[in-house]
Amino acid sequence: MPANGLTIRDDGKVFMIEMQDVPIIDQPRWPALDSVATPARMSFKMVWKSSGEPTVYEDASKHFRFTGTRAACQMEARVEVPSVGFWWHSDPLETSKCDFAILGEEVNGRYYDALGG
Amino acid sequence: MIIPNVSNASRLSRRALLKDAATAGVGWALPLALFARPEERAMTSNGGTDPYPIPWLDKNGSHNQPAGPNLEPSHIYHFKGNVARCSTFTGMGTDNQGNRIGFGAPTTDYRVMQGEYWAARAPQRGVFTHI
Repeated sequence: MPANGLTIRDDGKVFMIEMQDVPIIDQPRWPALDSVATPARMSFKMVWKSSGEPTVYEDASKHFRFTGTRAACQMEARVEVPSVGFWWHSDPLETSKCDFAILGEEVNGRYYDALGG
Repeated sequence: MIIPNVSNASRLSRRALLKDAATAGVGWALPLALFARPEERAMTSNGGTDPYPIPWLDKNGSHNQPAGPNLEPSHIYHFKGNVARCSTFTGMGTDNQGNRIGFGAPTTDYRVMQGEYWAARAPQRGVFTHI
């Protein structure tokens, strides 16, 4: 995605993705092999806000460490399939929710190994 | 005899080769690559600049997993940077017929990764999302 689609607040406690008219496909019968794909567009905005609760996930056998916080995440979106005259838009951002979200920093693979595991 | 640089191979005439080979006494086992057209020459493969998938997910034919406690958030291997994940997303919306249609499910998860990753034998930078 274009770098300007992501905004991270200076204190690292809010991440926001916002993109307009992203070309996508509408493929209702996926994953059927003969599923027809129709060009569509999607605009969306997604915001993660840190709860401040520290969170560390690390698994040396899988060479990763995540250091961050739990978070709340909300989204609003609009999808259009012009060829069939369909559109759908979500309710405002504040009305959506998720039960699990995190944000922070991660190192894995060779970068994890370089830190001495 | 000085073996020409591969990039100069096209300038090596048959006459010059015979002359030089005779005077220097070299054998005829010149590398075939010497005479290959540029598009046919063997190259070192560095792979593409696309990110590596997480090995134990890729092994099972998947490049992602739901977000959850103690599960690796990134879907890029050899990565360092910012990452945000969420799962079990739910919300409501309206279509052009006025129908109320929900979105999200227990397996609906989204993510964004921004930072440095290793591919094509070099550090790369990028921002990736999975909506």
